Amino acid sequence: MSALEIKHLFGLRGVSKHDIRLILDNAKQFREILERPVKKVPSLRGMTVVNLFFENSTRTRTSFELAEKRLSADTVNFTSSNSSVKKGETLVDTLRNIEAMKIDIVVVRHKGTGVPKFLADNSDAIIVNAGDGAHEHPTQALLDMLTIEEKLGTLEGKNVTIVGDIRHSRVARSNLWGMTTMGAHVTLCGPSTLVPRNRELMDKVTWEPDVKKAVKDADAIIALRLQKERMDDALLPSMREYRNTFGITHELLECAKDKVLIMHPGPINRGVELDSEIADGENSVILNQVTNGVAVRMAVLYLLAGGRANA
Amino acid sequence: MRNMVLNNVRPFVDGKFGEPTKICLVDGKWADSAPEGTPEFDAKGALALPALFGLGLDFKEPLRDDIYTFKDGVSAMRRGGFFGGLYESSANPIDDSQKLTAMQQLASKSGLEFAFLGAFSMGYQCKDLAEMMELAQGGAVGFGDGNQDASRTRFLRLAMEYGSMTGKRFFFMPLDDSLRHHGLVHEGSYADTLGMKGIPRIAETISVFRILEMARFLKVPVHFKQVSCGETLRLIETARAQGVDVTCDVDIYHLLLDDSCLFDLDSHCNVLMPFRSADDREALWKGLESGTVNAISVNHDPVLRQDKEVNFEDAVPGAVSLEIALGAIWKPLSGRLGAARAVELLSTAPAQLAGVEPVSLRKGGQASLVLLDQDRPTKVVPAMFAGKTRNTPLLGKELPSSIVASYINGEWTEV
Repeated sequence: MSALEIKHLFGLRGVSKHDIRLILDNAKQFREILERPVKKVPSLRGMTVVNLFFENSTRTRTSFELAEKRLSADTVNFTSSNSSVKKGETLVDTLRNIEAMKIDIVVVRHKGTGVPKFLADNSDAIIVNAGDGAHEHPTQALLDMLTIEEKLGTLEGKNVTIVGDIRHSRVARSNLWGMTTMGAHVTLCGPSTLVPRNRELMDKVTWEPDVKKAVKDADAIIALRLQKERMDDALLPSMREYRNTFGITHELLECAKDKVLIMHPGPINRGVELDSEIADGENSVILNQVTNGVAVRMAVLYLLAGGRANA
Repeated sequence: MRNMVLNNVRPFVDGKFGEPTKICLVDGKWADSAPEGTPEFDAKGALALPALFGLGLDFKEPLRDDIYTFKDGVSAMRRGGFFGGLYESSANPIDDSQKLTAMQQLASKSGLEFAFLGAFSMGYQCKDLAEMMELAQGGAVGFGDGNQDASRTRFLRLAMEYGSMTGKRFFFMPLDDSLRHHGLVHEGSYADTLGMKGIPRIAETISVFRILEMARFLKVPVHFKQVSCGETLRLIETARAQGVDVTCDVDIYHLLLDDSCLFDLDSHCNVLMPFRSADDREALWKGLESGTVNAISVNHDPVLRQDKEVNFEDAVPGAVSLEIALGAIWKPLSGRLGAARAVELLSTAPAQLAGVEPVSLRKGGQASLVLLDQDRPTKVVPAMFAGKTRNTPLLGKELPSSIVASYINGEWTEV
């Protein structure tokens, strides 16, 4: 087995094409396993994975947990509501306590940028980022890439447009790094108050304020979830205006290719960033994304654990 | 009081460093000779600079002596070669004469020169005026905001109007809280790449502009602490040209670091004002060259380990600097601006801003000095720091120069 160059998965910025290719290829194999009657493999038998979720999550945590179980790992769930963090324990102490229980892999989600790296700096465990602030959500981007490859054969030369709240989106950041590394052309589109203001370091993508132009040549469109808090923070006037300006609707798709893939990281605000008939329509690959999420997470855990075992 | 004979030392006299020589330090003065049996120290060609003056000291005592004490701060100053400093604590507003007296009593035992900024509002709340007349009569050298946002414009007007009777300068860290919002770092390409909430330059410049307008209108002298961007310097130059009495300082770390350090995600880089772009950093250096910037500040702000040993965004902002400031800045500063201007920016000018008599080195005069081996690098390690804090972005990094010892008001400290 070829090994990953990375020791942890913090994000996709700086991750090589070799590593992304390896993860996607392994994920394809795991996806086949997921189609079998017996979906379990013994790859992580004897290893313990803790899912350390300081932010609410249903689908990502479930997806990771399922991936871990299908790899035969022992899993433990820590969430902010049931952990000692609520009682004032510091992040380092939480980690050290967990480590003392001989944990091999930590899957972490936290509101703070860089928490996965902070944990790696302070522990011997393998760290997998399940979302840190608005920074990165690498496994979501990997499953997006896997889904596009599954449907279109390759990412090389494909046009992927991401629409919505780019500024606060860890999904958009991970996708722009990962997809450009794999040769896709990425276009980002959103309201001026919801796109990053300083883009000098994100210069390999196209920034297009006009959503009709942004989707025109797209092979895949990823609609991002719009958080209701954005209205409270005066970043947008209303959901209604957002939907009419940036929502993925039938009218908008008349400007796009017939077979454009429609994607969403979930959960969807139906009728806001994505109309129901589009979300459930023939172009939608949203449920494929969910299936691929388990396969990608299996691949990430398997390869990172394999790297450690081979070291 | 201790006497010492320094051999092979190059003192800074009349604007330049002399050839290696012998200096007799007796009762705090540079004497012609030393009594028999005076200990000798081979400085091995080290530079002897006039001791430094620190702008922006916060030793936390009394209300947060769990973090740091005045004694810790004094020890840090001696290790770093500081003969004095301008003190203003965000944790302990000096908003009445009793508090001022208590701090003066603490300082009087230190053997160092302290000047104190009074608070112009009670508890820095910008709600009730502090008794500025009594504070000024008691020795407060100016009035400060405690690094809190003073954006209540009407209150600011009244505070400066009332405080104008004292003739003292008002000190501000210009930062508009509303524009800062939840920002922690410079709003630039690094913050946006990392998805971190930024503090835009206009949070500083709009605050500066408002205060400058107030200073012009009321004819009150003002000082801006820790200027972090080039646009602010341009506003200051314009105001000066129009007759406003305005001074400013830049923080030592802002001359050494910029927001590219954010990619390390080191919580020690969580400071206020934030490290801005490389262009801003260069603009600050140009401000030193042009004279727009009056002095370099240290802004010694201890933070407990447990408040820094967290992820970046949950860390308490602040950095300590006294022990390492000179070793970090001397070479780049003297290399770019010359030794005379470097000494002025680190020692003479900050003391003058605080109304304290600067120190200089000459035979027969008082001799408070710091010995620096400018070509011997030092790695920054926790043992270098006084007290239990070591919150510096330079922890683990190598400084180009090493402090060897200090002799301040007759007390010898070997580092």
